[in-house]
Amino acid sequence: MDAQWKPPGRLERRWLEWRAARIRDPLARLRYLRRTTSAGDVRRRGRRVPQGLLAVFLWAFLFAPGYTVSDPGLWRERRLRLPFAAGIAVPAPDRISNIWLVESRKDSETYSNGLRVETQFGTANEQRAYMIFDQTRPGISEWRSQPAGIVYHTTESHLAPFEEGQNMRLQRLGQWLLEYLRRNQSYHFLIDRFGRVHRVVRETDAANHTGKSVWAEGRWVYVNLNHSFFGVAFESQTRPGQPGDVANQAQIHAARILTDMLRSKYGIAAANCVTHAQVSVSPATMRIANHTDWAEGFPFQELGLPENYAQPLPSMFVFGFGYDSVFLELTPNSIRKSLTLAEDRMRLEATAQGISVADYRAMLRKRYRETVAALPRTDNDKENRDE
Amino acid sequence: MSKNQSHPQQAIGLDVGTSRVVMARRSGEQYAFSSQLNAFVSVPFTRMTENALKRENIPYTAHGTELIVLGNESTRFADLLSVETRRPMTAGTLNPGEKESLSVIRSLIETLNPNAAQEKPQVCFSVPSAPLGADENLTYHEATLRQVLGEMGYQPRSINEGLAVIYSELEDTNYTGIGISCGGGLCNVSLAYLSMPVLSFSIPKAGDFIDTSAAAVTGELATRIRLYKEESFHFNGHFSDKLQQVLAVYYDDMIQALAAAMKEAIGSSRRLPKIGRPVPVVLSGGTTLPQGFRERFEKTLSETEMPLTISEIRIAADPLHTTAKGALVAALTEM
Repeated sequence: MDAQWKPPGRLERRWLEWRAARIRDPLARLRYLRRTTSAGDVRRRGRRVPQGLLAVFLWAFLFAPGYTVSDPGLWRERRLRLPFAAGIAVPAPDRISNIWLVESRKDSETYSNGLRVETQFGTANEQRAYMIFDQTRPGISEWRSQPAGIVYHTTESHLAPFEEGQNMRLQRLGQWLLEYLRRNQSYHFLIDRFGRVHRVVRETDAANHTGKSVWAEGRWVYVNLNHSFFGVAFESQTRPGQPGDVANQAQIHAARILTDMLRSKYGIAAANCVTHAQVSVSPATMRIANHTDWAEGFPFQELGLPENYAQPLPSMFVFGFGYDSVFLELTPNSIRKSLTLAEDRMRLEATAQGISVADYRAMLRKRYRETVAALPRTDNDKENRDE
Repeated sequence: MSKNQSHPQQAIGLDVGTSRVVMARRSGEQYAFSSQLNAFVSVPFTRMTENALKRENIPYTAHGTELIVLGNESTRFADLLSVETRRPMTAGTLNPGEKESLSVIRSLIETLNPNAAQEKPQVCFSVPSAPLGADENLTYHEATLRQVLGEMGYQPRSINEGLAVIYSELEDTNYTGIGISCGGGLCNVSLAYLSMPVLSFSIPKAGDFIDTSAAAVTGELATRIRLYKEESFHFNGHFSDKLQQVLAVYYDDMIQALAAAMKEAIGSSRRLPKIGRPVPVVLSGGTTLPQGFRERFEKTLSETEMPLTISEIRIAADPLHTTAKGALVAALTEM
């Protein structure tokens, strides 16, 4: 093997996989992959950035705010008004009807809405306890122990074709996956290919599902959601360009009754039922969507939830995170709306403060660093690296 | 392709294994395979024997005072004559102690495709990886096969055996995962990422190791052990006879060596890309055929702390033909 070969980076890998997934003929797909990943083509690969990406990059370069302004005294000297001190939309209470535990057995629980939770693979983790931060008053935080929301994931695990002839393999893969998730305390619930709901980490504990992440509801901001939000994973893979195939009807039905049960039991707001791609961030690059599972095509409506993709991303308008052109290219529809809304909101705030968007973004980023510094040392920001 | 050529160019996949030579071709949308045992026996030349071989359509060549019976039928002759079959290859490469090795391999390939000189097909042939930790040079083996195939009219290219397994079986993961071919001389392992081989190695414990070790313990001929192993051995249930027990012991030894080598090779690789998700393992080759092999391997691997998370372990759809099919897939992508 050529020692010059360098594996593609994360974004390039996503791009290659995305392109490859669109080539139906296996020979043509292999030909494409061999050509684009071969040792001799490393430099050529670098040049093969699609025209669309170049255009997006150019757009971002010309019009997006620069990220270099960072005056440490900015916050105090200008006596800036804090963002969102007014006009914060507090979601209307949206509790759903009471759903109760009907029966609890050794290996399962049954709920009044028909939900059955398999509990054989249940495990414990550290107990839930987390800080939330007041957007309107920096430095003000509260401790909570009740779950505040749900983050939906895909396991991105290996999948067998969903066919009767593959039954044994489907079951074996599910079993392996559950053992793996249990070992890593990855999620609170897994919905397998047959629509069965399995408990992984118990509801009173945190799970290592989201890692570095941000969400906000009303005046409160949640940072690193492993403790504050439930992690519900679909045994599935994100397939760019084929959003309809990510979950089957059995899984969607299971997700709905599980969501209803959790919302009923813990009073979770519908606006706090979101996808991993919506909350994931990378502090190293200050970009959103470090994980891209359910970046598009999540069936909010079928789960009885509002179209939460339409919410502006709090990571952007609260903490100034940005995004890269490859992400934009890979998520053609769903999240784009929320990016635009978040950017509009940020622009409005900057205008209201009388400063440039770049300065405003620098201020928000400083705020993120201060918030993270205020997190307890025990903050759990482990994440699933497989997604 | 030149317009003057009388035959459309064909692609062929060729698995030149220690135990078998398997040829794969495309037949419409399907793959077609033909194979010969990579073995021979020599019997004294008599007119009667030669006529019998001709009548039965058994491949052979006459060498002075000897008749060399090639391929699949050699085992039956060896059993009748109570002799061991002779092997053109050992431990995955040409057998340096067998002077007939090249001519036998050439004859075997000719029996599989007599028209190479006219068709001039593209062929992708399998080559093993160097054994883990050994500084073995496989250039001679590869270059010699390339030369033989070129002389026969083929346009040869080579492919690593483990990678061929990946090309054959891991289309659904964009050719990312681990392919293992447990053959006669070697277990070849390859880890590929988006079709690119990241890591390849072999271990010298495979089917022949099991046969010869069991033969040494039981006093049987290795050829007979192999026949018994292929027809009757399984991992499931209780082992009633001694030979079953002996075979199980050496199978376990091989599986443990394989799992340990995977752990060592993957753990010590500095060039492992961040794959970011569990990867599948596909097992192929004649040594994986006994019932219960997959489960035994899975159990051993789960007890080994692998530096990589495995999503599943499965046996290839057609374990005896997997490498040849993967080689054919590689040849087709070159056309």
